[in-house]
Amino acid sequence: MSDLTGIMAVTMIIWIGLFAYVYRLDRKVSRLED
Amino acid sequence: MSRWLAEALAVAAKDLRAEFRTRVALNSLALFALTTLAAVSYTIGPYRLATEDRPFLLSVLLWIVIFFAALAGLDRSFVKEEESHTAPLLRLAAAPTVVWAGKLLYNLVLIFVLMAMLAPLFCVLMGFEIAMPWRFAVVLAVGGYALAVITTIVAAIIAQALTRGALFSVLSLPLLLPLLIIVIEGTTAVATGDLASYTQSVRAIVAMAGAMTIVSAFLFPVVWRD
Amino acid sequence: MNRVGLALKWFLFVWMMVVIWAAFMWIPSAQGFKGESSRIVFFHVPTAWVATLAFLVSCIASALYLWRREPKYDFGAAVSNGLGLLYAVLATVTGAIFAKIMWGAYWNWDPRQTSITILLLIYAAYFALRSAVADPEKRATLSAVYSILAFVTVPFLMFIVPRIYFSLHPDVITNADPDNSLDPAHLKVLLASLAGFTGLSVWLYSVGTRIEEIRHRRRQEVL
Repeated sequence: MSDLTGIMAVTMIIWIGLFAYVYRLDRKVSRLED
Repeated sequence: MSRWLAEALAVAAKDLRAEFRTRVALNSLALFALTTLAAVSYTIGPYRLATEDRPFLLSVLLWIVIFFAALAGLDRSFVKEEESHTAPLLRLAAAPTVVWAGKLLYNLVLIFVLMAMLAPLFCVLMGFEIAMPWRFAVVLAVGGYALAVITTIVAAIIAQALTRGALFSVLSLPLLLPLLIIVIEGTTAVATGDLASYTQSVRAIVAMAGAMTIVSAFLFPVVWRD
Repeated sequence: MNRVGLALKWFLFVWMMVVIWAAFMWIPSAQGFKGESSRIVFFHVPTAWVATLAFLVSCIASALYLWRREPKYDFGAAVSNGLGLLYAVLATVTGAIFAKIMWGAYWNWDPRQTSITILLLIYAAYFALRSAVADPEKRATLSAVYSILAFVTVPFLMFIVPRIYFSLHPDVITNADPDNSLDPAHLKVLLASLAGFTGLSVWLYSVGTRIEEIRHRRRQEVL
C-alpha cells in the first residue's frame, strides 16, 4: 500500500511542479503583452 | 488526348530524356540496389534463413532495398530543376498540376525500372519462392505507385529547403513507414499464398495511394508557387 | 491575467490533484492487470488521446494557414505540433512502463508502439523541416503542407496497421476489456483525467501561441 502512496505522492509533486512552471510562464507572458 | 495529359507527358518525357542522357538518378538507384542486394545475398544467401521465416524476412529485405534505393534517387526530379535554375522557366511553361503529374510519371518510370531489374534478381539470388507470382507483380505495382506519389510531393517540398539530401530521407521515411509495413505484409502473403491477407493488404495500399494522390494534387500548387 | 482565466487555472490544478488521488486511492485494483499497473491507464490513455488531438488541431491550423495566410495559424500549427510531440513522448514512455509491468519487456514493437514511434518520427521531421527553411513564409507554407501530408497517414497508422498484426495492446476500440472500460468508476476517473489533460493542453497551447505572437511582433518592430 505504501508503495502506491509513494507513487501517488511523486505524481502529485510532478503535477505541482509542472503547474508552477506553466503558471510562472503564463504570468511572464502576460506581463510582456501589456 | 486531352491537353493536360499531353502536357504532363511532355514534362515527364523531358525529364526522362535528360535522365537517360546522364543516367544520374538511375545510377544512384541501381548502384544502391545492387550493392545492397550483393551484400544481403553474400551474407545471408538462399540457405541461411529457416524455411518458416523466409517469406516474411525476404519480403522485409526486398522492400527495404527498394525503399532506400528510392530515397537515394527520387529527389532528383525537383532538386535538379532548382540546381540548374530551370525551375522558374518550368513554372511559367506549365500549370502546377501538369508539372506534378509529369514529375510523378517520371518517378514512376524510375521506380518501375528499378523493380523490374531488382525483383527477379532478388528472387533468384535469395531463393525467394513466390506462390502467387502475378499477384506479387500487383503488390509491386501498387506499392511502387504509392512510393512514387509520396516521394514526389516530399521532393517538391525539400527542393526549396537548405539541406536537401538528408532532409529528403528524414521527411519521406515517416510517411513511408506505414506503407512499408503494409507492402511487406502483402508480399509475405503472395509468397505464402495467403489470398485473404493479400487482398486486405492491396486494398490498404490502394487506399493509401489514392489518399496521397488526391492530397498531393491539391497541395503541390501551393508548394510549387514561388 | 484575467479573473476567469485565473479561476479556471486553479480549478484545473485542484481537478488534477483529485484525479491523481482517485486514480491511486479511490479506484481498487483492476482484475486482469498485473499488480497496480491498471492505474497507468488513467495517465497513458489521456496523453495518447491528446497527442492525437494536438495533431488534428495542427492539421486544421495548417489548412487555415494555407487558406488565409495569417501568421497566427502558423504559430498554432507549430505550437500544436510541439505539444503533440511532447504528449506522444509521454504516451510512449507510459506505455513502455505499462508493457514492462504487464509483459516483462519495455518494447516489443507491437502495432501500437510501432504506430506511436512513426508518429514521433513524423513530428520530429516536421521540426527538421522548419529548421531547414529560412524564409518565414516559405517555412510556414512548407511545414503546413507537410503537416497535412503527415495527417493523411494517421488514419492508416491508427486503424489499419494494428488490424494486420496480432496485438498485445488491450484494444479499447474493438474488444473492450470488461474490467476496464465498462466499470463505471474506472470510466469516470478516465474521463475526468481526459478532461484535465485536455484543459492543460488548451492552456499550454494558448501560452505557446502568445509567446510566438510576441516573438513575431518583436521581429516586425526590428524591421
